[in-house]
Amino acid sequence: MEISSSSAVRSHCVGTTAVVYASDYLNKLTGEKIERECRRQLDSGCRALVIDFSDTQLVNSIGISILLGIIDIAEKNAARVVFSDVNSQTVELFEMLGLTRHVVLARNEEEALSSLSSFVPPTWPTLH
Amino acid sequence: MNINSSSENPRRILGRIARQEFVGRGQELERIILQANAVDPRGLLVLLEPSAGVSELLRQAYDQLFNRRSEIIPIYFAFTRNESTAVSAAIEFLNTFLQQYVAYRRDEPTLCHASLTLNDLVDLTPPADLEWVEQLVGAYTRQRFSNDDKALVRFCLSAPQRVPARHGRPFVMLDGAQLAEYFNGTVVLGTEVLRVFSRAGLSFALAGLRRQILNAAHDAQCNFEMLDTLRLGQLDPEEGRKLVEYVARRQQVITTEETRELLVQQFAGSPFFITSFLQAAREKNAPLASYLDCERVYVDELLGGHIHRHFADLLEEISSDADTRRALTRLLWEAAAGEEHTASFESWRKRLHLGASELQNVLHRLHVQEFVNWNGAVVEAGGGPQVWKDYLKARYRLDVADEPRALVVAEALADSLKRAPHTVARHFKQIARLSLRELLSGFDCQRVPESLFNHGVFSQRYRGKTAEDIASEVDSETELIKLPQIVHAASSTAFNPDMRQVCDEERCVVAHGFEEAAYTDAQEVVWLVAEIEAKLEVETELADLWCDRLDILARTAGFKRYQIWLISKEGFSIEANSLLRGRAAFSSNRLQLELLAARLSDARLSPAVSSEDVDEFMLVLPMGEDNELIAANTVEQFARRLSFRPEALNQIKTAIVEACINASEHSFSPDRKIYQRFRVENDRLVITISSRGILPTNLGTPKGSNPDRSEADDASDERRGWGLKLIRTLMDEVEFERVDEGTRLRMTKYVRHSSS
Repeated sequence: MEISSSSAVRSHCVGTTAVVYASDYLNKLTGEKIERECRRQLDSGCRALVIDFSDTQLVNSIGISILLGIIDIAEKNAARVVFSDVNSQTVELFEMLGLTRHVVLARNEEEALSSLSSFVPPTWPTLH
Repeated sequence: MNINSSSENPRRILGRIARQEFVGRGQELERIILQANAVDPRGLLVLLEPSAGVSELLRQAYDQLFNRRSEIIPIYFAFTRNESTAVSAAIEFLNTFLQQYVAYRRDEPTLCHASLTLNDLVDLTPPADLEWVEQLVGAYTRQRFSNDDKALVRFCLSAPQRVPARHGRPFVMLDGAQLAEYFNGTVVLGTEVLRVFSRAGLSFALAGLRRQILNAAHDAQCNFEMLDTLRLGQLDPEEGRKLVEYVARRQQVITTEETRELLVQQFAGSPFFITSFLQAAREKNAPLASYLDCERVYVDELLGGHIHRHFADLLEEISSDADTRRALTRLLWEAAAGEEHTASFESWRKRLHLGASELQNVLHRLHVQEFVNWNGAVVEAGGGPQVWKDYLKARYRLDVADEPRALVVAEALADSLKRAPHTVARHFKQIARLSLRELLSGFDCQRVPESLFNHGVFSQRYRGKTAEDIASEVDSETELIKLPQIVHAASSTAFNPDMRQVCDEERCVVAHGFEEAAYTDAQEVVWLVAEIEAKLEVETELADLWCDRLDILARTAGFKRYQIWLISKEGFSIEANSLLRGRAAFSSNRLQLELLAARLSDARLSPAVSSEDVDEFMLVLPMGEDNELIAANTVEQFARRLSFRPEALNQIKTAIVEACINASEHSFSPDRKIYQRFRVENDRLVITISSRGILPTNLGTPKGSNPDRSEADDASDERRGWGLKLIRTLMDEVEFERVDEGTRLRMTKYVRHSSS
């Protein structure tokens, strides 16, 4: 298990899955830090992202828009994204803005990791 | 200087009545006293509505200042018709100034009333002042024989500036300045007065007719930054009644509650007319115990008493030539009595047989007295109070139509008697009636139940229910209408004088407004509102007729978008309602109007919530640096007072965070501050977020319609949309509106206890 504190965002890797921890307030600044960390993890070869919201009490619309950006980036890298430990008020906001259509929600980090381990990646057609 | 303040038992010096009997002008008196005591010298222009009366106000101010014995030396001077030239008026001013100065310095009020020559005054001057007073009198004597009238006038008027600073600061109050312009000779005294005093470095008050004083100030090229204005209108009914009561008691004239009410209404609260009239009653030893008593004195006054002399003097000032006055009386009366109030300058010239400059003088004076409105090319006659019109009519019948005096007197009395009950009834109706103009001015973009503007629906829904049930059910209606912000409301007669023939002035109103308070052509709307006089439900024919009238009014005035709203005490018949729906007109009965008024005032003043039930807090935060979190944490504290559930707390916090972000991101705020108001009421929390800074012009522009916009811009707008979307979803009521120089967002969250 590797713990990284780069960009002041806590993260660690479990196999090819990166777990990134969101702070207590998800806004533009903290959202961009998470985004940078996610990019870094994907560039390092991670194939899945778990963003943990256990510390997050408040999110704003800019933070949410950045999360959407992260989902886009992950898709482009053929990586999966799971949000874990999201409180009910934040889930309500994610639902309002349609975020939950693009991401899996897990009760906690353990459930997130387990859902990813049971995931079978699609077999992409080989180009000849 | 005698410091023995007499404020406990103030001496009456120039005042003609005791301070406690001086009613209706308390605030204005304070204002003048403040002006006198101002550290930085400033002029005060007291702008009078004709016949509003100002002399006693200035005399009371004089007495207060005299009795205070401070460094402010009051000087009161009234221009009178006795002085025929600017030079003689200026010399009289100098004499009065020195007399009142010496009286103040010696603390001998009786000197103000003594008949003294300049030499007497020099003899009475205290030793400390002797040197400068002797110099002033000597210089005056030399100036007096210099043959330079203008220099002499200026010298006399500037005498207060010669008082050495260590001896005090004169505060000159000039009364009746409207007369100053009419002095014969080469010097325009009104302009000279303003020229001298506005440059004297002393505070002063100049009272006169509003139109003339402002003209004179412009002519004298006054620095308006150094001038304040105080407007004096007629007394309101309550003050008027008090005035009648006090003056009648003083003059020992018997009155009753009914006659006091009549006098206030008949003279429209004019202190001048009321006082003159009661003085006449005393002179005639006539009790005023009935309408007949009052109207007898009134007709006597019109034909030969104080009021007659007042208007006769005015006409003589307006034109000294008897033939011109006769022609003028005819012209003015015909305009007042007829339907055609406006005529060209040229047609006046022909009718009066005057040269252009002579007519200009006449019209200028009539305009100043507000008997006509004259803009250079067009003359609009028919103005002035009812007393003036009655006087004019009597003069016309006697002087022009040459009717027998007995007939004129008898018919004037009969007319006044017939009118009296209507005059009082109109006042009582006005009290009972909601002021349409006030009501419209209170719209202010508020949301109210739609049924209040649809009598058909309202009647169907609430007929037969109690007032309490109706009020409560109206409150729970969900179909709301957002009212415009009304920026100007005036009687329809101001737009089309013909409307006078079909309704009272205040019962048909034209209100210009903007929807959403957005000042654009698209949002501009004119409400045409008429209160129809009918004892029963208004039928189709009458409703249709009123819609037609208002349509014509709108077309004539060139209103592009308008909304007709008809009001009738008992509402409208089913057929009339159907017609009004077809014509897209709003309709209300008296009850709907009252409910609307209550809701508008609720929203503006929240009277339904007693002050004990309301807590209001203000918070001003700089934009940026996550300061929205401070707002969120603060609002949490207020919300806890109302026992919001935890999820509601979070919703409020998120909404306020979004509101702050919006304010920061989308305004060009010069001070970079967010103004927040938290209002904790019994069952709700109302949060208002505002910031200075005009919204970007592209706000509301469809995406992609601007080629200069980048994808980032579009994304930003989308994100802004998210913020508002969140706010609207999380809060119960959201009002996002443009205001002058900024934006304002009002959000309300209601407490919902788990049981409900």
